[in-house]
Amino acid sequence: MLRQALRGGAESFYLPDFCTSRAALAIVLIVELTAIVLALARQGVNHGANPGAAADFWADLARTSLFLLWVGLICAALLCWTRGRLERLTVARGSAAVLALLLAVIAAISAAAYFIGHSQLAIGAGAAEFFPAAALPFVLRNMAIGFVIVAVALRYFHVTHQWRRNIEMRAAARVHALQARIRPHFLFNSMNTIASLTRSDPVLAEQAVQDLADLFRASLSDQRQHITLEEELEVARTYQRIEELRLGPRLCVSWDVDRLPRDARVPGLVLQPLIENAIYHGIEPRPAGGTVSIVGELTGDLITIVVRNPVAERQSEREGNRLALANIRERLALLYGELALVKAGRFGEEYIVTLRFPHVTAQSTGATATGATASKKAG
Amino acid sequence: MLKVLIVDDEPPARERLRSLLAEIGDTEVVGEAGSGAEALSQATALSPDVVLLDVRMPGMDGIEAARHLSTLEEPPAVIFTTAYDQYAVNAFETRAVGYLLKPIRREKLAAALGQAGRLTRPQLQRLATAARAERRTHIAARHREGLRLIPIEEVQYFLAEQKYTTVRHLRGEDLIEDSLRLLEEELAPDFVRIHRNALVAVRHLDRIERNADGQCFVRLRGCEAPLAVSRRMAGELRERFRL
Repeated sequence: MLRQALRGGAESFYLPDFCTSRAALAIVLIVELTAIVLALARQGVNHGANPGAAADFWADLARTSLFLLWVGLICAALLCWTRGRLERLTVARGSAAVLALLLAVIAAISAAAYFIGHSQLAIGAGAAEFFPAAALPFVLRNMAIGFVIVAVALRYFHVTHQWRRNIEMRAAARVHALQARIRPHFLFNSMNTIASLTRSDPVLAEQAVQDLADLFRASLSDQRQHITLEEELEVARTYQRIEELRLGPRLCVSWDVDRLPRDARVPGLVLQPLIENAIYHGIEPRPAGGTVSIVGELTGDLITIVVRNPVAERQSEREGNRLALANIRERLALLYGELALVKAGRFGEEYIVTLRFPHVTAQSTGATATGATASKKAG
Repeated sequence: MLKVLIVDDEPPARERLRSLLAEIGDTEVVGEAGSGAEALSQATALSPDVVLLDVRMPGMDGIEAARHLSTLEEPPAVIFTTAYDQYAVNAFETRAVGYLLKPIRREKLAAALGQAGRLTRPQLQRLATAARAERRTHIAARHREGLRLIPIEEVQYFLAEQKYTTVRHLRGEDLIEDSLRLLEEELAPDFVRIHRNALVAVRHLDRIERNADGQCFVRLRGCEAPLAVSRRMAGELRERFRL
């Protein structure tokens, strides 16, 4: 469970797969376009100095594109070949490795071009004028151009990858939000409790109906909207009241959340599903019941909330549990990115879920929210 | 007067059934139970005509309790109640087993009481599979004073006799009516067939021995007598458990 959580949080490598024929075609196209740009630029520069150079445009384009094709295709082949190893590196190290690798290729091919130009083969064919005259300036110049282009390309790939990942996460979060709505089992059992209380204790029945209504309002509201931690704690307590009516003394919930900042922004229903899971999987299956404990801490500007429940003697399928955790993880990640952490696992006789996210208040999330809308518009 | 036993782990649910039954009339609530195990002892002591049995209960669930109830000499009729359990409801529906959905309507409860029927053991075993119920936690054996519940973990082996099956467990021996074939189907892989007539608990296996004639035996922890292993099973046992 823990390992899965870590893997879910890690970012996959962002470069596209250069092993496909589509990528090879794209590289040929980009190389030709770059060659045209370079040839045109050189043409413009030479034109002022030497009018006769105009006729050399096609020859210039040919040799530039020949050189760039070698560079482009060898780089693509190398990226294809090393992809497996690059994927295992972090984003920063992977990018540095790609940059170093491609610059080495450019240097090597530049040097090769120079040596071919000074070999008997080229001189004998009378083609020496097509090759660079001096080795070092030629190699260094090419490396500088390569550095700028590779850096820009890496940045481009990284940003588009992030953007696509964000879109995918939003879509998944929406689907999971629908699936994570309150369980039918809970709804019908609560209805049954209320039906019973209507006769025996109308005042309690009234309160239960109000609680149920509040709970459904929270669960039907737009889960992309953020609420304060205080509101979320109230939703969780409302849920607890309904379950207490049903389970009686078998359910005991201990809250230790006084140290939590009440104004922290959280996605709606970030805590209630954890309590629901703890009761459904940890308390209901145990004949003697048990205690669900919720402990909240604020260290620096990091909020940590830990929910614990005893493990049932018979472990039933935890499909619903995994869905709820995945949903909470996604929604916290959408709000706080890499700073949010959701861990869950069994430790001895207990099942423990830990949430950790930064303490951001209403005012400061205003900026994040507008930032999000701006990036949505840009997308 | 129909004698009814109410079984549900939630007190409000029991209370509601009690008041509905009072309104319907011509019934007498002889007892209430909050768990499957309690239901069995109540049913034995009070011999109700009908048991209203919640499907989802902690410890022993309703379907298992119904299976144990069916081993009683005079088993009561059973009506299941459930708030929401898709598999169980489908299973009840296709097998025409009486069930009620919570919150229960008075008319439906009255109708179900009129039609409630007894369920046979094979019927209940198939029901348990179809409802994807959890495996039984206990084996029930009929006794002079009622039912004895033997936790599955305490069972060392089952031995098929001519008409009955003997259960050997940590606290003695009992006779049950379940067939070895059905027990094997239900309890695999925790129990393994070592012979045509013997099904033993893997957790109690100790070692395999061979006598001078080449006949193999297994020894179980806490059991004096060795059990014969068929030739076909001996190799498989050794391989599977490295005995």
